[in-house]
Amino acid sequence: MMSIIQQIVSGLGTPNFFVLMPEIIITTTALLLLVVELFTKNKNLLSTLAILGLGLAIISIFFIQQGDITLFGLYIVDTFSLWFKFMILITSIIIFAVFNPYIESKRTFYGENYYLMLFAILGMMIMVSSPNLVTFYIGLELMSVSIYILVGLWKRDYKSKEGAFKYLIIGGAGTAIISYAIALIYGRTGSFDFIRIASEIQDKADIGVLGGLLLLIVGLALKASAVPFHFWTPDAYESALTPITAFMGGVVKLATYAAIVRVIIGAFPFSEEIWAYGWAILAAASMIIGNFVALRQKDVKRMLAYSSIAHTGYIVGALASGNIIGFQALIFYSLVYVFMAIGGFIFLAAFEKNEGWTNHIDDFKGLAKKHPIMALYMLILMFSMLGIPPTAGFMGKFGVFIALISANVWWLAVVLVITSIVSAGYYLKIVANMYMHDPADDRRFYLTPMEKSVIAFLSIITLLLGIYPAIFWDISNLLTQSLVMVSIAR
Amino acid sequence: MIPEFVHAGFPILSALIIVPMIAAAIVFALNEKMAKPVSIFTSAVVFVISSYLLLIYDPSGYKIQFYEKYQWIPQFGISYEVGVDALSLTMLWLTALAFFVSFIWSTNIEKRIKEYFIAFLILEAACIGVFVAWDLVAFYVFWEVMLIPMFLIIGIWGYAERLYAATKFFIYTFFGSLFLLIGVIGMYIYNFYTNGVLSTSYFDLLNVKLPHNLELIFFLLLALGFAVKVPMWPFHTWLPAAHVQAPTAGSVILAAVLLKMGTYGFVRFNLPWFPEASKYFMPVMFALGVIAIIYTAMMAIAQTHIKRLIAYSSVSHMGFVTIGTFALNQEGVNGAIITMISHGLTSGALFLAAGFIYERLHSYEMKDLGGMAKFVPVFATLFMISAMASAGLPGLSGFVGEFLVLLGTFKVSVLTATLAGLSLIVGAAYTLWLYKKTMFEEELLSEERIKEYEHLKDLNKAELWSFLPFVIFMFVIGLYPNWWINLINTTSQFVLHKIVGG
Repeated sequence: MMSIIQQIVSGLGTPNFFVLMPEIIITTTALLLLVVELFTKNKNLLSTLAILGLGLAIISIFFIQQGDITLFGLYIVDTFSLWFKFMILITSIIIFAVFNPYIESKRTFYGENYYLMLFAILGMMIMVSSPNLVTFYIGLELMSVSIYILVGLWKRDYKSKEGAFKYLIIGGAGTAIISYAIALIYGRTGSFDFIRIASEIQDKADIGVLGGLLLLIVGLALKASAVPFHFWTPDAYESALTPITAFMGGVVKLATYAAIVRVIIGAFPFSEEIWAYGWAILAAASMIIGNFVALRQKDVKRMLAYSSIAHTGYIVGALASGNIIGFQALIFYSLVYVFMAIGGFIFLAAFEKNEGWTNHIDDFKGLAKKHPIMALYMLILMFSMLGIPPTAGFMGKFGVFIALISANVWWLAVVLVITSIVSAGYYLKIVANMYMHDPADDRRFYLTPMEKSVIAFLSIITLLLGIYPAIFWDISNLLTQSLVMVSIAR
Repeated sequence: MIPEFVHAGFPILSALIIVPMIAAAIVFALNEKMAKPVSIFTSAVVFVISSYLLLIYDPSGYKIQFYEKYQWIPQFGISYEVGVDALSLTMLWLTALAFFVSFIWSTNIEKRIKEYFIAFLILEAACIGVFVAWDLVAFYVFWEVMLIPMFLIIGIWGYAERLYAATKFFIYTFFGSLFLLIGVIGMYIYNFYTNGVLSTSYFDLLNVKLPHNLELIFFLLLALGFAVKVPMWPFHTWLPAAHVQAPTAGSVILAAVLLKMGTYGFVRFNLPWFPEASKYFMPVMFALGVIAIIYTAMMAIAQTHIKRLIAYSSVSHMGFVTIGTFALNQEGVNGAIITMISHGLTSGALFLAAGFIYERLHSYEMKDLGGMAKFVPVFATLFMISAMASAGLPGLSGFVGEFLVLLGTFKVSVLTATLAGLSLIVGAAYTLWLYKKTMFEEELLSEERIKEYEHLKDLNKAELWSFLPFVIFMFVIGLYPNWWINLINTTSQFVLHKIVGG
């Protein structure tokens, strides 16, 4: 008598577990940390274990020569997902590397931080390799729930609880919207599978598909913090521990953008006139609201949160073109944006450790005199976010411009231009405060060598990717092709 | 018409861009004392090389010389493409000269010496890049890179209102240049859709046959970018603020080099790319040019701050360049280019003079100045020559350009030429007013002031050597304009070849 599992295996064949190696390693590490954390309060041990797990997962990615669709069609491992997993893991390592000094200075140690982050990473990895709405949903939820908790983990801090609660409520609503969207799409097409959905719909989107697709876009926009679904973002970003903010503003954003492209190209390749309009409106609103509100912020962490909303606008704005160039531009911009975003927040995290640094814009006054090199790095990051060549940020915007103009979406290109100019107002304010004011006192700030080198790495790579972006354009090209291939091939 | 390319045996133009950057890195590594000698040496080398290029440039026939091209972002057909024609080369030479002079002048910088010279060296590399790049993305990159050091120069080493001026400068220019970028990308996409060529090279975009409406739109997008930089009326308001607040060397670079980028853009891109639109918009450009000439000349007369006066006079001179360019004939374009060079020399020298006066008397306001001439004779002479060149005295550089511009304009529109010509009188008036208020009126000086003035030192060595190159070349151009006109003739023929059907 065969067990159920044996029956399934004999019917469908054994799933290819080899291509799941990175996920398996991350799960194991997370569970291991869950146990180890019960017995030790040694932060360094915990973060070393986490980094070790992430490193092993990265190495295992290089062993995967051949992509596959495994777990009975529920999980896809292709160039796209592998590259994004690689980026997610690398950037997560960066955050773990600077995590401990920060929580030591804030005296807010919770061992849960480590494995929750790993679970969030696992969720993102599932998200980027989902060929199916259910897998996608599971990944999204695993990530979101972990992050709700991470935001609220700041001991004895009222704001942290407020931010987490807000995020939980709005994020929960987003989840509900996405599940309703999935239900509608399932009702119309009878499948969760992207390819089946795509072939069922073709370009004949009826009211059911339209509703489902629009709700799905709303849900995704909420997760990517596009206006008007952004209200959780400033509070959650501001109130979380700053390295966690870097995690949310960089890594989570990256995974969300990747998931957006994956779902949109995978399931709705022929309905571009619907989603292109949807994303265009969301993008325009995000650029306008994000930049204008950021202009009024005095707290730099909150300012960067709004800047992150604006960048969501620029990045998903590429989808308004509805063509291949748009996908390439989106992928390129999200790949380079992650460095800038993490760089900006980690810069704050490194300084926030010191007494008397409140992230207020005035704290930046005279920083160039006290820390000339760090100020230079921040200058590069700020000009990159503003989109001045030769930084990666310019190349990102350049790609979006090409995409928009190639599809004749001039109005959005003009909105992008005007809002970029508005954004100069606040990025320049930071640079001006660092360079053009005298310091109020001669107190210097302490930064660990690790923090210094991480910020150096992030800003220099931002500069290098701007000077020689060809490699990353190649990668974006490759990833787009891999996505389009999958949706055509099957 | 695709010009001939003369490839460089040695990548000399790239070297001119890279050398200042390397120097910046060296200055960064060395201590403060070495910053100035290294910078002066570097800029001297750059100046010597560019003068050498000017001499060995072959002006017979239109050829892009010292040409280099390398792949940069092959996915988009973007390459790094540099080369010079006479227009690029003269601007390159002017840039090299202005930076050389600025570095010599910058003796009395007290705060953040290293950063000061690094900012100027990077600015020099970017400015050279703008003038020699033939790939539009490379051009745009240099065009924008230049904003960062200039923003810092005005903002860190400027005067009281520097922050406002620096931000205004940055945002205005950024505003214009993003529209420029959209225009370029639009051309690029259109070229791809119609000809299937994926390239941002100037020469590939030159072959695009645009429908009339699209041509007008692209013309306006590019013109917006350039007009802010020129600056043309009504986009000029950033300029007086920036000039007044910038340190002397910053003002010199701003006037001698940065303003030329806008007019360079008009001559280089708008005329050859959009011949029909250029004709179509000729009256508009004439009107804006004449308003700039007359209105800002009037504004200049009303100023009491000497740097602001010179700044307004710059806008006025740039108006001449605009109408010369859009006269769309050989004389006009030649005149425009000569005026660009000449204005680089004269306004640079005038800002040096303003800097000198501020050093000695610590004020830019006319009410605190006056009667200096007798006490600083050498300076007074050089200042007089510069002022006269700026006002357009025959025999000096200003006259040649303005004469040619008026000649060219006269052929097209008598009214424009007359109005612009009349304003020369106003121009002479404010220049002389400036000179009188700062140098003469000795009889109005009180006893104390005279005693004070007796301690005034005339030009020191550094100041003298920064003045002299400007003044010498004012004479060179003024007395022997033929050489320069010969140099740029084939280039202006090329610029106009679609318009006059050459």
